[in-house]
Amino acid sequence: MSNQQVNITVRNLSVGYKKGKSFVAIKEDISVNAHSGELIALIGSNGIGKSTLLRTLTGFQKPLGGEILFNDRKLGSFSIKELARVLSFVSTEAIRVQNLRVWELLAMGRYPYTNLMGTLTDEDNRIIKRAIQQVGLAGYEDRMIDQISDGERQRAMIARTLVQDTPLIILDEPTAFLDIRNKYEIIHLLHDFVKTENKTVLFSTHDLNISTSEVDKIWLMLDDKVVEGAPEDLIIAGNFDQMFHSDKVYFNGESGDFMLRKNVIGTYTLKGPEGKIFNWTCRALQRIGLVYTESDPLLVINTPTEEKDMVWKVEINSTEKLVCSSLYELTAELGKRLIRL
Amino acid sequence: MLKNLLIPRNTLLFGLLGLLAILLFILDIFFGSLLIPFKTILQVLTGTGDVNPEIKSIIIDFRLPKAITAVMTGMALSISGLQMQTIFRNPLAGPFVLGISAGASLGVAILVLGFSSVFTLGLFTISGSWALVIVAWLGSALVLFLILAVSIRIKDILTILILGMLFGSASGALVNILQYFSNESMLKSFVIWTMGSLGSVTKSQLNVLIPSVIIGLFLSFFSIKSLDVMLLGEQYAKSMGLRVRNARFLVFTSTSILAGSITAFCGPIGFIGIAVPHIGRLLFKTARHKILIPSSLLLGSIVMLLSDIVSQMPGYESTLPINSVTALVGIPVIIWIILKNRKFSSV
Repeated sequence: MSNQQVNITVRNLSVGYKKGKSFVAIKEDISVNAHSGELIALIGSNGIGKSTLLRTLTGFQKPLGGEILFNDRKLGSFSIKELARVLSFVSTEAIRVQNLRVWELLAMGRYPYTNLMGTLTDEDNRIIKRAIQQVGLAGYEDRMIDQISDGERQRAMIARTLVQDTPLIILDEPTAFLDIRNKYEIIHLLHDFVKTENKTVLFSTHDLNISTSEVDKIWLMLDDKVVEGAPEDLIIAGNFDQMFHSDKVYFNGESGDFMLRKNVIGTYTLKGPEGKIFNWTCRALQRIGLVYTESDPLLVINTPTEEKDMVWKVEINSTEKLVCSSLYELTAELGKRLIRL
Repeated sequence: MLKNLLIPRNTLLFGLLGLLAILLFILDIFFGSLLIPFKTILQVLTGTGDVNPEIKSIIIDFRLPKAITAVMTGMALSISGLQMQTIFRNPLAGPFVLGISAGASLGVAILVLGFSSVFTLGLFTISGSWALVIVAWLGSALVLFLILAVSIRIKDILTILILGMLFGSASGALVNILQYFSNESMLKSFVIWTMGSLGSVTKSQLNVLIPSVIIGLFLSFFSIKSLDVMLLGEQYAKSMGLRVRNARFLVFTSTSILAGSITAFCGPIGFIGIAVPHIGRLLFKTARHKILIPSSLLLGSIVMLLSDIVSQMPGYESTLPINSVTALVGIPVIIWIILKNRKFSSV
């Protein structure tokens, strides 16, 4: 099943919930696509309906309108058992079952394939063993899942979807609660087996710059529409700018990430060789609200020329001189003086 | 430590528990107000040798049914508790969370406190005790029916839990009203019933109790696979292809038959159902029901036989109410487990 070519078509889909006798649509007219060998990130601000869309795609919730086609077959026509062989799912909820070993958790993934008593065949054991290795948990088979780290547990949950052997895997915020190293590793892992196993993986996330550097496609949920495309397509089209209506946060099309808007307290220009020190000096100055300019700057700063001799020489209004030996000192001194000015 | 032995750890543990259960079964028959030599007991049990018919009657008609009842009670309540803990994903769930014992109590209260004065039923005659069993069964069946009706319509497992507790509280309130208006001797009969008793089950009642327990246990074997995936919660279970409502229906039916029959025959026996599955998890260090179900069967029998031996107070004439003994045995286990895992969030 897993090597089969799949195409998922979402057409004019409305998602939402039932309240009493009426339906409340959270998002309407969603039309997006997914194909085998694609890692797709679902991005959108909190409360915009990401989880509702994922729940609808996994079949936990009925669509209010439109259709989801899985290789031209309507998702609603799959039985629960058929669905379990087509898509697997990892939720945001942290699993904290006591006395459950990693190996036992993975074995659950064979549920759709085993007999009435859940007996594992040699083939099942082989699949479980392979999945454990794929996610880098070899040697963890007998560890209890409530005694491993969050990152390891998330890997185990992902391995369980590999064991379930479905062409489509859906994950709801798999990188939430993880540290930065684990965030990167989890996304990289997903990226890896999308390519090696030709699977389709869809996950929701808030980690924009991690996902823009790894995913093939983004489904971006905006207030009035859902757009899809390669991360770069969406950046160029300016779609991320529409994510928040905020004076404080804006999307930086250069760095591909969100930034906080600062109150501008002055302008500067830098003199010195380009490189690490130069770049990080820029970052530090931007952080305290200074803007780069070439004509008539308030500050002229000479950056250190070599790492042995860390000295920043500053001229303020072409008169006052200031010498600092670290960026901490520089930003603190400038902060104090510029507020006075 | 046990890992390097030739026999796998689980097999060894099952073997030891099995032997312990057999040993306690024989000891349970041995202890009683009349001291019967060990050899005589073995002769009666194996059907060999010439034994005084009176002694034989004590063993065959009284002590053997009581020991068998203890085994049935231990097995039924432990399996019910295990199933409820998994399905509600709550370590403090037990056989009676669905309000089954409260339903049975209501049935008994209506009989003992409401009608018996009118029909002057002798509670401890044969027909009287059958009447007791039947009303208790009807009471728990009523609660079962309500719970199943609710579980088909309502998706959320917590709502079912809360409704079960409310059904239980409502029955409890009705029982209180009946108690308030009943006379002293009736009240005492009822209170004695609530204390539980293994000894009141007759040989003929065993003919009903044993098949009921076997049916309930048989149903639970079909839940082994679904209970495993339900450990991860219903959403995951569904995503792996489990028809959650069907699975829940099967588990509730099994639990109601098991807990309902035991309550009907022996009264509401507490704490065993909550404590025993935890002992099983602790010993076998697993969450798989393929192991937990057989271990709960054995451990349930062991704990119940042990409680029965204690309740007979070997060496004394009188006996203790079985419910007090199971509480005193079960509560320390539960306290120990709570203290052992402070982050007591899930089974």
